[in-house]
Amino acid sequence: MDVAAVARLVPGLALALPRVPHRGLVGEVRATSAGSALELHDFRAYQPGDDLRQVDWNAVARTGELVLRIRQDEVAPRVEVVLDGSRSMALSPRKAACAREVALLTAEVAARQGLAPTLLVAGARPERVQGPACRAVLEAAGFDAHDGLPESLGRLPPLRPCGVRVVVSDFLFEADLPGLCARLARGASALFLAQVLDAEDLDPSGGEGARLVDSESGAALEELLTEDVLAAYARRFAEHQRALRGAALRARGALLVAPAEDSLVSLVTGPLRPLFVAAGAS
Amino acid sequence: MSFGFPWGLLALGALVPLVAAYFLRRRQKPVVVSALFLWRRPSPRAEAGPRFERFTREASLLLEALAVVAAALFLADVRWGDSARARHLVLVVDGSLSMSARGPDGVTVLEQVRREAAKRVASEAATRVTVLASGGAPRMLAGPEAEPSRALAALESFQALGADHDPMPTLIWAQELAGAERRVAFFTDVPPESEALVPASVRWTALGTARPNVALVSAQRRDEGSTATVTLRVAGFGDGLEDVEVRVRALPGPGAKEGTEKVERVRLPGEGTATLRLTFQGAGDVEVSLPDDALLEDGRVRLPPAPARPIAVALAAGLGRTEQAALERFLAVSPEVARGAGGSEAELLLGPPGTDARVTVGAGGKPRTFLGPFFSEKGHPLLDDVQLSGVRWTAGDNPPGKPLVSAGDAVLVSEEEGGRIHLNVDLARSNVQRVSAWPVLLSNVVRQARRAREGFPRRQLLLGEPLPVVTLSGARYTLVGPGTRRPVFGAGEVSLSPPSEPGTYVLERDGDAVDAAQVLALDARESDLRGRGSVDLPARETGTDDAPSDGAGRARWPLVLLLAALLADFYLTRREPANTGGR
Repeated sequence: MDVAAVARLVPGLALALPRVPHRGLVGEVRATSAGSALELHDFRAYQPGDDLRQVDWNAVARTGELVLRIRQDEVAPRVEVVLDGSRSMALSPRKAACAREVALLTAEVAARQGLAPTLLVAGARPERVQGPACRAVLEAAGFDAHDGLPESLGRLPPLRPCGVRVVVSDFLFEADLPGLCARLARGASALFLAQVLDAEDLDPSGGEGARLVDSESGAALEELLTEDVLAAYARRFAEHQRALRGAALRARGALLVAPAEDSLVSLVTGPLRPLFVAAGAS
Repeated sequence: MSFGFPWGLLALGALVPLVAAYFLRRRQKPVVVSALFLWRRPSPRAEAGPRFERFTREASLLLEALAVVAAALFLADVRWGDSARARHLVLVVDGSLSMSARGPDGVTVLEQVRREAAKRVASEAATRVTVLASGGAPRMLAGPEAEPSRALAALESFQALGADHDPMPTLIWAQELAGAERRVAFFTDVPPESEALVPASVRWTALGTARPNVALVSAQRRDEGSTATVTLRVAGFGDGLEDVEVRVRALPGPGAKEGTEKVERVRLPGEGTATLRLTFQGAGDVEVSLPDDALLEDGRVRLPPAPARPIAVALAAGLGRTEQAALERFLAVSPEVARGAGGSEAELLLGPPGTDARVTVGAGGKPRTFLGPFFSEKGHPLLDDVQLSGVRWTAGDNPPGKPLVSAGDAVLVSEEEGGRIHLNVDLARSNVQRVSAWPVLLSNVVRQARRAREGFPRRQLLLGEPLPVVTLSGARYTLVGPGTRRPVFGAGEVSLSPPSEPGTYVLERDGDAVDAAQVLALDARESDLRGRGSVDLPARETGTDDAPSDGAGRARWPLVLLLAALLADFYLTRREPANTGGR
């Protein structure tokens, strides 16, 4: 993991926050909950139990009915970074490093924005850390889970409502993708699926003959990597990506495909651009 | 368990690459992928994990090895139980020339024998077959106890060109080879003279047909200078054969531009033979042919040039005038004798006593005259037809060597150990040179010298004749003929057993050809097809294992096992279609 590259990028970046209200601690961003901010959000009729301080007495005078001013809370939205800890993420050192760098960059940029990043590593031993500890956990994170992200999520602490949720994974597993995306999007104002893929995932190099072994399950398959077999793989991979992208869209999320071979800078300015914007533009 | 064709077990060698491939695949470096499901739809065994996968491989290996073993057993013609008991059949085929005779349908007797032999092998369910060919010297064509297909193949390539012979030695040999089972089948073209003479365990099957035939019974060629004299004897065997057209074609010899062809119509006597003598100038090989009839082989001969080899005779110095005159008078009229200079080139040197001549003529010491009685070594070839009655023989001192002719205590003719001959005769006082005994005696001397010459004394022989040959001591000789090459043992005059086949036989000394002789495919007894016929005499004695077999051919169960193993392996290693992969 190139921590220096991440550090160089952090000052110039900010997370692209959604325009919809967030949920989080008291902060500067409008929340979905009613609060005491100065900005008026709505009016509604009084209901027993409402704070009488919010009654718009001018309206009462005009209409004779008890009308309440609805003001939004101003919150500091949480950012959750979920890192897939399955073994397929360490298919190559570059893939593992890229996943760590994307997760770290997200956390660092969020922290710099004051968005209280939370890192969840969905490995064999799930971890959940916040704040500055994210870097150390990422550096020590081992991609050792023998199952995919859907199973790893079951071992993680419950995902909390948050502003932005970034899931870093290769998403190369057989699962109910719409259900998974809905689950990841639940409670989040924005969902970004950062799909880190190795060059071999994108374009297998083939060979004379091979015994293919699944990196997670260890299941083996005798297969001659002929042109036909490689073409069939490419066809199935495209179908998988299409299904994943559709599932993400239905969950109002975004799928960002990050080739691990690309540098972090090119990723930020390329595939990850929907997640990162230049500082000050948010 | 037994194997009908043990060479089929070589197929087990396929196990080596099979097992090697198994271990090589196990050692193959695996390729780790992120998502195996994208490569294909996960099969149950793949989902079951690596342990079951490995087991599947080994099961596949076992099934494939089983298939190889089954294939090897099938190829090796494996037999179990009763079918494993070897059933040995000995076939004896008459190897005489008349087996090549054609029947009215144009099929040779030998071809009929081949078909019948194949049927007999199948009907007897023989697992082992031995094929013998009868002849002057019986020989084994296949076996002992060869695989049936090989035995029948050997019979296919066999040509019956032998001389007339007694088949009994071959049948006795066949009985010994058959052992306790006693299955001997003899195929010939003539019924037995007496059924009682047929060995009890032999089934005699004659497939011949009585047919008329015209044949050459002898053919000789003699070359003197550029003139070739061909003498033919033709005989007709059968009724209604009055004459025959003999075609003689002389190919051009060295220096000649074209050959000569003569066609002679020869009248055939009722019994006996007709003789035809033709001469050619500058002829190469001479081909003689008769019109096609039942037996083609006895109507065609090819006679290569057979130049006369005169024996070189020289007279040593020192002979008396009378002796020299008597000798020269004989040499002047003796055929195939060439007067040569003395020395080492002469094959026969005649000289006075006291010299190293091969034959000495003369008497030294006190002469003694005898009128008889003369005592001769009976049976000595030198004295063949030598009649000494009425002879006045004056002899001197006794010569060395074994006495051949003596009178009183005087030795008139003697022979030394090395072959030197001494004629103890004073021709000036004798009348030996004036009676017929003199040229006969000298002719015998010349004949002895000719017989001592290296090579074949006769260049053209008939089928079945012993092959005389003269060899020198101290050299290694080999007789090379059609399909045969055998050493010649003994020195001097050696009579070899009759060649089994006609053709050109070459005598080699230490690898170099010395002389050649032609054995012609002529045998009057074989050409006479009038006594041929067909008969099938079953063996009077049944063997110890003559129960008919209930099965023939290869066992089928290895094939079933092979197919089952292949199907099971296919089921185990089958794959889902590539285009039905999951997401």
